[in-house]
Order: sequence, then C-alpha cells, then structure tokens
Amino acid sequence: MRRRDTGEVLGTVAAFPAAFAFMLFMLVPVLIMVKVSLSGPEDIFTQHPPFLIHHATLDHWREIIAAGGIRAPFQRSLVVATGTTVLALLVAAPGAYVISRMPRKWRYPVLVSLFLTRMFPEVGIALAVAVNFIRWNMLDTDLGLILAHLIGALPFIAWILVGTFETIPVELEEAAKTDGCGRVAVLRRVILPLSLSGVAVACIFTWLWSWNEFTYALYLSLSRNTLPLETYYYLGRGSLFNAATYSTILTLPVFLVTFTLQKYLRSGYLTGAVKG
Amino acid sequence: MLAPLVLCTLSLTLVPIGQTIVLSLSRRTTGELPVLDNYRAIVGADQFGEALFNTIFLTLVGLSLELLVGLVIAHIMSREFRGRRLLQAVLLVPMGVPTLVSAINMTYIFGSVGYLNELLYRLGLIRVPIDWAGGGVVTLLTIVVADMWKVTPLVILVLLAGLESIPRNLYEACAVDGASSWQRFRRITLPLLKPSITMIMVLRAIDAFRIFDLPLVLAGRNTPVLATYAFYEYNAYNNAHASAAASTILMGVIAVFVLCYLLVVERRDGGS
Repeated sequence: MRRRDTGEVLGTVAAFPAAFAFMLFMLVPVLIMVKVSLSGPEDIFTQHPPFLIHHATLDHWREIIAAGGIRAPFQRSLVVATGTTVLALLVAAPGAYVISRMPRKWRYPVLVSLFLTRMFPEVGIALAVAVNFIRWNMLDTDLGLILAHLIGALPFIAWILVGTFETIPVELEEAAKTDGCGRVAVLRRVILPLSLSGVAVACIFTWLWSWNEFTYALYLSLSRNTLPLETYYYLGRGSLFNAATYSTILTLPVFLVTFTLQKYLRSGYLTGAVKG
Repeated sequence: MLAPLVLCTLSLTLVPIGQTIVLSLSRRTTGELPVLDNYRAIVGADQFGEALFNTIFLTLVGLSLELLVGLVIAHIMSREFRGRRLLQAVLLVPMGVPTLVSAINMTYIFGSVGYLNELLYRLGLIRVPIDWAGGGVVTLLTIVVADMWKVTPLVILVLLAGLESIPRNLYEACAVDGASSWQRFRRITLPLLKPSITMIMVLRAIDAFRIFDLPLVLAGRNTPVLATYAFYEYNAYNNAHASAAASTILMGVIAVFVLCYLLVVERRDGGS
C-alpha cells in the first residue's frame, strides 16, 4: 500500500463536512420560502424570528386563492409560455433538423452563432422592443410578449433539438427511402417517432423558461402582470407573505418538472438554460 | 427550412440591438445623429461608475468563488461516498427555482431582521443587526451568494462531466510514480479539465455581466449594476437614450471580455 500524503488525507476527512455544508446551503433558502408562506405573522414580524414554525397557518394560501388576484397573472403566464413554446417549436424544428444533417464542420459554427445571440444583454434588446411596442401599441399584449420571449427561446430550443436529431442515424432515413418512403413519409415515420421524447423535453424546458422569464416581461408590461412580475410587485410593496406564497406557486411546476425530467438534464442541454 | 430559424433569431436579436445602438447615438431632444451626448452624460454620472465597478466586481468575485466551490464539490462527487445520490438530487433544487424566486428567498435571509442576522445573533457574534442591503461591498457579497446559490450546481455538473471523462489509469500511473495528490491535481486534473472550465467560465461570465434580477431585487437603486442602471434610466427617469447608451457599454464590456479571454487564455495554453 502506498503512503497517503497529507493532501489526500485532508481530502478524505474534509469531503464529508464540505458536501454536507454545501447541501445545507442549497436547501435552506427553499425551506425558508416554504416556511414563510406557512407561518403566522407572529413568527415573522418580530425582532428575532424563530427558525422553526411556531404558528403554522394556511391563511396566506387561502387568502390568495380566495382573493382571486392570482387568476389573471396565472392565465397570462400560461398563455404566454404555451404560445412561446408552440411558435418556437414551429420555427426551430425544421431549422434544427437541417443543421443536424449538415457536415460536422458546418454544424458547430452555425449552432454557436445562434448561441452567440445570448451574448447581447437582455436590457439592450428589451429597450428597443419596448420603444417599438409603444409605437405599435403592443405593450401588455400576449402576442408581443410571446414574440419577445422567442428571442431567448429560439437559440435554446434549437440547441436541444439539434442534439436530439443528431442522435438519429442518417442510415435509417436512407433505409426508409430505399423501401419506398417519400421525404414527408421519412419525416413522419422515422424522424418524428424517434425524436418525440427529445422534442417533448425541449418543449418543456422552453415552456419553463418562458414561465420564469422576468426581464422582457418587466419591460413590456404596464398593467397585465405575469406571475413573476406579480411576485416582484408584492415584494416591492412589502407583502412578505404574498411574495413567499406567490414564489412557492411559481416554483412548484418548475420544481416538479425538473425532478421528473432529471435524467434528461444533461450538461449540454443545461448550458442554454442556465438562467431561469 | 433553415431560413425561418436563422431569420427569426437574427431579426429578433440583431435588429433591436441595432436600434438600441442608434438610439444611444442620437440626441435626446432633436434626434440628431450621431452624437455622443448620451455617453458623455452617463459617464459623468456618479452612479454609472459605481455600476460599472459593481458589475466587474460581481463577475470577478462571483466567478472565482463559483469555480472554487464547483471544483471542490465536483471533486468530492467524482468519488463514491455515502450520500452521493442525495447530493446529486439536492443539486437540482436551485435549478428548479426561478431566479426571481431565489432572489426573494435571499431577502428573507439577508433582511435586517432576516435569518442570517438571527443566526449570528444567537451564536453571539453580533449584537446589532447588520444592514446587508445598505450598499457597498456587503451588499455586493449578498448578490454573489445569491448568484452562487442559483448557478453553482450547473458549474458542478459541467465540471463533474469533465472529471469523469479523465481516464482513471492516468492517476494510478502517476501515483505509482510517486506524485503527491496536489501534483496529480496540478498536472493531470487541471490541464485535462481545462476545456470544461473554459466553457463554463465563458458562459457564466456572459451571464454574470448581464446580471439583472438578483441585484434588482436584493439591492435596488442603492447598488446598481450596468443592467439595472440601464433599466432605471428607462423606467424611473424615462430616458431611453441614456438607457441605450448604458446597454451598449454593457455589450462592449462583454465583447471585450470574451475576445480577451479567448485570445489570451486559449492561445497561451493552447500548445500545452
């Protein structure tokens, strides 16, 4: 047995506490959010907030659902996210298929140049879009926000779709052609069934991206808030409980989907979705 | 079939960017082109210098810490240990939380009667609550922590994928030759991990320069970064021209950074 040096010993001894501390760091903020949304005012409006829930209550949840204020932003977020996903898929899928069939030395430059559009700051893009929308009277419209969300969603969905189509061998298509399939039949009988799960994942991540999107929504909405905007405004008005409850509601679908689809969360996909 | 994708992406991105640049170069009152009034006005403003400094500070400090923590945790996770699967699941938590929500969560922790002050108070470390959002380096550090919370898992996953692609027998050969664990890390892990590090750092830097939601929620107007500065110029002062100028400068900062990084870092180590 070779001698273990100090670095190695230190690594083994420190690994567990380090991993544990990191795990705590990851979990605590979310636990606090849920805690605030379930705590009575006595637990929060005090000089020394307790770490555990002493006065549990479902009032904040009940109030928000009863007040009905959540319905409009929820609906707007739902419409925009769904619209963005459908449009992005229609525009990106054919293009992504073509890119995936390009020779390798062409494929990456094209993908990277699409991706480089992410280099531009959203505040710079959103400003010009907002100025145009004021002129065209399109602020607060669902279509306007959907178009704005396409800016972020297109490179991202294309990135995932190219990755999906790439995994389908060209030989399969050729075999189908020899068997007498036309171009459309090849797409329908070969490509579509084989890429279905990848396309579904791409759609879901695009949907979540739009569901969470904040910057464009902030620039392009006057009175019709999306769910993230509504959450932000509650925080600005100091309604701690509303903000926590809205945050929890906003997080739930994202959370469920992320965990359900975790096996698809490959780092290659994720690089496009870094910012929620 | 490629046309819709390319046309949409370019027209939806480049056209607005072009408009923003034109806007930043036109005089606010007469629309005369091209003038540098807007740049002159914001460069002279106190808050702009602060915003520029804050943006660069956040990027440098944030990225260094994320890389450091990312390397440590990825290293730990590259070995088998009890609780590895649990840690892997926990890594997904921040990815399932929208950035805005993670900012709000941080306000509960860093509020003046927040949980961090309470913890420090109970541990007997402070007697008067610390004002985390008051401005200065303290506020910047809270933003760094918030950003780290959200993105370190991604850094870890990318680095972990890189680590796992390094053949085990390289380490064994080195150990037989008597290399210390530090030497193995310096001579094998770092060079072979470099492509992963470069990729994630460039991606992260671009996002860090553009950081918007976190400082907006955590610091507001006290501690501007370039993106929130541009937003307030437009939203609070109704000055689209100044906002455009600030956005254009931000774009320039990002472009300069990416070029420098690719030229300097990639070329220097390209051969080795």
